[in-house]
Amino acid sequence: MSNRRHLQSEPLDLMQLLEETRDPASGALVVFSGTVRNHHAGKGVVRLEYSAHRALVEQVLAELEQEVIERFGVQQCRIVHREGTLDIGDDSVLVVVRSAHRPQAFEAARYAIDTLKVRAPVWKREHYSDGSVDYQEGVPLQQADLEN
Amino acid sequence: MINVQFYGVLQELAGAQTLSHPLEAPMPVAEVLEQLQARLPALASHLPRLACAVDDRIVPRSYTVAPGGTLALLPPVSGG
Repeated sequence: MSNRRHLQSEPLDLMQLLEETRDPASGALVVFSGTVRNHHAGKGVVRLEYSAHRALVEQVLAELEQEVIERFGVQQCRIVHREGTLDIGDDSVLVVVRSAHRPQAFEAARYAIDTLKVRAPVWKREHYSDGSVDYQEGVPLQQADLEN
Repeated sequence: MINVQFYGVLQELAGAQTLSHPLEAPMPVAEVLEQLQARLPALASHLPRLACAVDDRIVPRSYTVAPGGTLALLPPVSGG
């Protein structure tokens, strides 16, 4: 478990995750793929750059997998995010959930990606078709201000 | 000294991924941020939305960072 990676610069490998999570007690499999699209807020996008705080991403996503398993009672949950330069159509994140029955699998996968978006220290820099470049505005991480 | 790491948009703003900041005694993160703002005025508008991590752990601004530590400044996130 501890040597499973959650951030990688090479293309994400769905087949490997399916193999890793194979489970005879699971009758449902839900996969979510975040895929680089060619537009954002009305502007054409030609590619994305993802950067991350690597140590924190590993920790946050490992904890999130465990939280999803316990909270939804699913058998398996794997989350892997990509870093580096991605082209249109590339997968930026994969969420794989296996559970005995389908309702939990759908709910768990939805929770996993929604929570990743507010907890994982990952930053998206967009390259637009007009040649400009910008970071997406993003969502502030919450924990920092608990005591402020 | 502490090692300050900049992430996301802050790297462009600081013009670097890391910098060394003088620190002779333990100090709350909030005070280090004030000093950094004096050094890098462009940080000011980002400070309210920043999270901070010390030695790979997210901490509140009241947390005390010691000389030799690493302070990571984490702007709003946009993964997925």
